[in-house]
Amino acid sequence: MPALEVSDVTKAYGGFMALNGISLSVEPGEIRALIGPNGAGKSTLIDVISGRARNWTGNVRLFDKDIGTLNPAQRRLIGLSRSFQKTSIFPNLTVRSQLRLAAERVGGTDSEAILEEFGLTALADSNAGDIAYGDQRRLDLALALVGRPPLLLLDEPAAGLSLEESKHLAEHLRTLAQRWNVTVVLVEHDMEVVFSIADRITVLASGSVLAQGAPDEIRRNRAVIEAYLGSAA
Amino acid sequence: MSFGRVLAWIVLAAVGPTMAWLPVSLLAKSLLAQATFSALFALGVGFLLRQNGMVSFGHAAFFGLPGYMLGALLPLRLMPPEVVICAAVLLTGVLAFVIGLVFVRAHGIAFGMLTLAVGQAVYEAATRMRWLSGGNDGLNLKLPPKLFGLSLNTLQQPTGMLTVSWLVMVATLVLVSIIAASRFGILTEAIRDNEERARFLGYRTLWPRAAVFGLSAAVTAIGGTMFSLYNAFISPDTVHWTASGSALIMAILGGSGASWGPVAGAFVYFFLKESLDSYTTHWLSIIGTALIVITVAFPAGLAGLVPWARQLIVLRQREDRVAGA
Repeated sequence: MPALEVSDVTKAYGGFMALNGISLSVEPGEIRALIGPNGAGKSTLIDVISGRARNWTGNVRLFDKDIGTLNPAQRRLIGLSRSFQKTSIFPNLTVRSQLRLAAERVGGTDSEAILEEFGLTALADSNAGDIAYGDQRRLDLALALVGRPPLLLLDEPAAGLSLEESKHLAEHLRTLAQRWNVTVVLVEHDMEVVFSIADRITVLASGSVLAQGAPDEIRRNRAVIEAYLGSAA
Repeated sequence: MSFGRVLAWIVLAAVGPTMAWLPVSLLAKSLLAQATFSALFALGVGFLLRQNGMVSFGHAAFFGLPGYMLGALLPLRLMPPEVVICAAVLLTGVLAFVIGLVFVRAHGIAFGMLTLAVGQAVYEAATRMRWLSGGNDGLNLKLPPKLFGLSLNTLQQPTGMLTVSWLVMVATLVLVSIIAASRFGILTEAIRDNEERARFLGYRTLWPRAAVFGLSAAVTAIGGTMFSLYNAFISPDTVHWTASGSALIMAILGGSGASWGPVAGAFVYFFLKESLDSYTTHWLSIIGTALIVITVAFPAGLAGLVPWARQLIVLRQREDRVAGA
């Protein structure tokens, strides 16, 4: 049974078709990268899957359960979590209290263990708004991973990070996904991150799937090279 | 709660009764008692500002409603008067919660306008429904000779009322502080900061926000009830939007960063107004100027002065240590 199954999803903004009959299937434990040029529909697809987007057609199933009618909070409670393009934390709460708040809702997770896992213990009693940007990104990811959700959607997790931090994030994500058995779907523009951690890649262009496959197949795909990768791969 | 904090609350609670029994003029005691009503009003407004980040222009409705409820229900003698008084506060809170389920969906200026509309609707009802509210003439409350074991005379004399209203104010302040520090308080602060993130952590955000609106109205209603009991009278002026504006000024003056901020702001505003009123009829323009200066120079209000002073002391100590080395 796939962890995530998206079938024939269409979403329009006025006359602009952001998603045009997209279908994809992600296996449990897989790390799937969504790549494509700006305006391809990557973030919109993440928004549809997570419940942020409204007025779309098609089908979204999480472990064979139809989640299309559930709101974001309900989706989180059954194990679908996400992060955002912009860092999304609670700036006036301490690092510890917001992780505790997140853990209390999904139950059973030790927020202290998460603090340690993400190297945030020393900052636990600082207000999140006062810590460095890189630490805020880690906190953002930590919030999304509280409760070890079976499916994690990441929207440009490496945005604004240095090369070093991006590499570290990619390695950490890979290890955590395996250790905690989390299926990951990520949107990312940093091709180094994408090719180093993705099991499979879906390439979107103009709201449609241009290609899907293993990183090596995508790297060699002529249509993908022409439409997006160029010499980046 | 730490021992130091408990001690601070006890000392604060003792201030009012001590003042009440000191040989101070009755006028001063009466003004202090009235300041506690305003403090409770501002505490409710400040709680909404702190927990939801929302500005209400209609809280005067919740200040005046319990008085009108007492005026309408007490003569019917359906229940013991103490029950009617508690029910008036509770009903005001519940009513605000129900309204809040719709209103808190709006943000910023839209929310402010909705509260203004409700406030003015209550004001219009108070002026036009003469058979119930007494219209512009107001309504005399028919209070029983004893309430909560206290004689009515005690509640309507400055000394007695100052003792009672001060203790009620401190108890409410303690309760508000406990709520703000509770899991519910942290959740509502989180929702205020980043509602979308809270939703994506699995929280429903509408109910907690509406609950804050209801609680803030109930706190304001406690102040309104004390006001009504002291004066045994309620009039449309009490529910006019300018009263909401004054409470908002008190809350901003005191700062919503700490629960006690709006209470401190209310006392400063109240006594500033009383002092200036005897010198000039343009006291409001002086308060307005002071408000502009405070908003620009100390956006966190009086409550922001404490962490500011603490930071200043730490910096001085560090400088001294560096100079000593």
